[in-house]
Amino acid sequence: MTDTLQNPRLSRFTRFRQSRFAKFEFIAGSALTSMLALLVLFADILFPGGGTAVNLLERLSEPFQSGAHLLGTDPLGRDILARIVHGGRISLTVGLLSALGSVTLGTVIGLYAGYYRGFLDSFVMRFADVQLALPFILLAITVIAIVGPGIDRIIILMIVSQWVQYARLVRGSVLSLRQREFVQAAVSYGLPNRKIIFRHILPNAMGPLIILLTLNVANNILLESSLTFLGLGADPQTPSWGGMLSEGRSYIQTAWWITVFPGIAIMLTVLGLNLLGDWLRDELDPLGKTR
Amino acid sequence: MTIRQTFLAKAALRSALLVSCLAMAAPAFAQNTTLNVAQQQDPQNLDPIDTFRLSWGSIGSNIFESLVFRGEDLELRPGLATGWEFLDDETRIRFTLREGVVFHDGEPFNAEAVKYTFDRLLGAEGSKGPQRSNYTSIREVVVVDEYTVDFLMQRPDPVLITKLAGYGAMIVPPKYIQDVGEDAFDMKPVGTGPFQVVEYTPTVGVKLAKFDNYWNGEAEVDEVNIRFIPEDATRIAELLSGGVDISMNIPTPSVETIKQNPNVDLVAVDGPTVVLTRFNTAHGITADPRVRKAITMAVDRNTIVQALLGGLASPISSAQGVKSFGNDPELEGYPYDPEAAKALLAEAGVATGTEITLDMPSNDDTFREVAQVIAAYLEQVGLKVNIRTHEQGVYFNDIIENGKTGEIYYYGWGGWTFDFDNTAYILYHTGERFNPYVSDAKLDELLDAQRQTYDRDVREVALQEVARYAHEQALDLPLYNTSTIYGVSTRVEGFDPAPDDRARYMNVTLK
Repeated sequence: MTDTLQNPRLSRFTRFRQSRFAKFEFIAGSALTSMLALLVLFADILFPGGGTAVNLLERLSEPFQSGAHLLGTDPLGRDILARIVHGGRISLTVGLLSALGSVTLGTVIGLYAGYYRGFLDSFVMRFADVQLALPFILLAITVIAIVGPGIDRIIILMIVSQWVQYARLVRGSVLSLRQREFVQAAVSYGLPNRKIIFRHILPNAMGPLIILLTLNVANNILLESSLTFLGLGADPQTPSWGGMLSEGRSYIQTAWWITVFPGIAIMLTVLGLNLLGDWLRDELDPLGKTR
Repeated sequence: MTIRQTFLAKAALRSALLVSCLAMAAPAFAQNTTLNVAQQQDPQNLDPIDTFRLSWGSIGSNIFESLVFRGEDLELRPGLATGWEFLDDETRIRFTLREGVVFHDGEPFNAEAVKYTFDRLLGAEGSKGPQRSNYTSIREVVVVDEYTVDFLMQRPDPVLITKLAGYGAMIVPPKYIQDVGEDAFDMKPVGTGPFQVVEYTPTVGVKLAKFDNYWNGEAEVDEVNIRFIPEDATRIAELLSGGVDISMNIPTPSVETIKQNPNVDLVAVDGPTVVLTRFNTAHGITADPRVRKAITMAVDRNTIVQALLGGLASPISSAQGVKSFGNDPELEGYPYDPEAAKALLAEAGVATGTEITLDMPSNDDTFREVAQVIAAYLEQVGLKVNIRTHEQGVYFNDIIENGKTGEIYYYGWGGWTFDFDNTAYILYHTGERFNPYVSDAKLDELLDAQRQTYDRDVREVALQEVARYAHEQALDLPLYNTSTIYGVSTRVEGFDPAPDDRARYMNVTLK
């Protein structure tokens, strides 16, 4: 799995270019994501107070004017940089938890559905079709209108609506893996089904799953921002990127920094995760089967 | 020869272009002038007796008129009545009506129309809407002759003349309503005002056209196109890009943007709306008056007004502004004193770090900032505030009405009469729709008593007493009286900003 297979169909030049680009993807992607992870991990040490300290005397300070507020302050005099770092915590928590939750749920369901087939399979997959047809934002707006806004609800909603894509992906892999010799061998040895599924099938279906996972994390960070922007996510006091964008909207002509910096933070994070995901795809699937 | 031909050809082409330009310009001169206005809310119904929203006022005031007129200076003047007098020991009010006034459909305005208006308002149709309760002091309207009516009073109503200048008392045409029916009237009403309704599209806007037979002059613009743009940022963008000429309901965060734009002016007047946070006096730690006082003392209103609202509001000590009848200039709000607040909280046995909830509607950008500042102030005295936002309709019709709020909740009220009776009754009288918690025999008595007399001095004392009592009990945390802020394009002239949001477009001209 680890050593890169060379694709015989590609020319030498393309391979060279690809490897250079892959290297760039890896370096840039991991640099961006690890930087974010470190910032978020040490947010409390770097910016104690959580970026919620209100100081009306320093409201709307411009960026790059003082060391105390490097990226300026918002209308309530709160430090934008501190809020971005603390807001990253919300974004990353939502992104990771929702992706991990849906990957777990989706993988288990997909494995069983693909392995056993039958009624379970067709029921789950038809349900998945229905689920995929529901636009997420619409679903979120409806549910939030009933149960009220909150980050925990957003995460659960994402899991509920996104496990489907993993289930479909895994089920597809399982269907083909099931016919392979090593699985047939395991069956003829009389191994229990659970063992075959998790020991023999799952590891071979991991590649595309991991790729989808990285892209999903990035996508969910964007989704969380959109929902908070719409007032459906984090409450007004909790710093979050989407919330900062929403608050800064009315000031955009006079105080651009309130919206621009969190916007850049979202962009860099999503870019980093996407680059990493791209690189992983090339590493795990050099023949381009999933392309 | 060729040169000459070319020259001729060019000349011909030029004149052809010129002609076509003229042809295009000619209809432009004849074209109607249209004033474009944006406002936040859709009143959802144009019938004056079916609404109590300020968003109706800025439309309805151009379509309808009533017996009494109250303009931008808030003085009461003759409107469709030329005068009135109190008779029979103030139990009968006689109005002399203006002659020669017609409705948009050509129907004459007379005593019958006045009687019909009030019979409708006080009868079955009126009881379906929110306006009727404002006018129940009237027992009956009697026609004396074609241009004289008597209002027979059920009980004294000191605010009646003011209330006759607005909302539910707008005179409506009897024949038109009977012809088209109530539902059609909601969508395309007819009045005696300077503009008539061309088209009303719910959630989109209202188109008005100049009424040629208006008795009191002629509107300067031919058409007014009022659009409902709920999203603050979109409304401001339309104003700045020239898509609208006048935008109402400017949120404070956008003030700076408008000030910096050379093509748009910011016009602000003291408004009727006061913003306060109310306490849940029935449940939780705020049932204790000491806690309520402590919270009031922990919040610095002056700083909120100056720093956050850019001075476009004034701090208040009771639920009314300085223009309000019943305001007591002597009444001082609790001073900002976090130390005293901490001591009071300790005395009441409230532990540091106690969590409380502040409820607010989600679409209020300005208050979202204010709420966070309040939370920061309260954190300094050891209270952790969680802000909960709700969709506006849910907030007013469920969270407040059914008493589901946390310890503190937002309340904004615009008593357009500028008489404290309006606000105080709703806030403090037992069983009022938006008063889920306060029930106090003393307040009920004071409020009911001042409704029994026309004596302004007696009423003023009573209303001031209500304000003082509410202050002593710390029933709410009065924050500020907001200015009504309009964004007006520099091509607009003659726009007189109305403090009560009842914008009138008759005298507006466009450059």
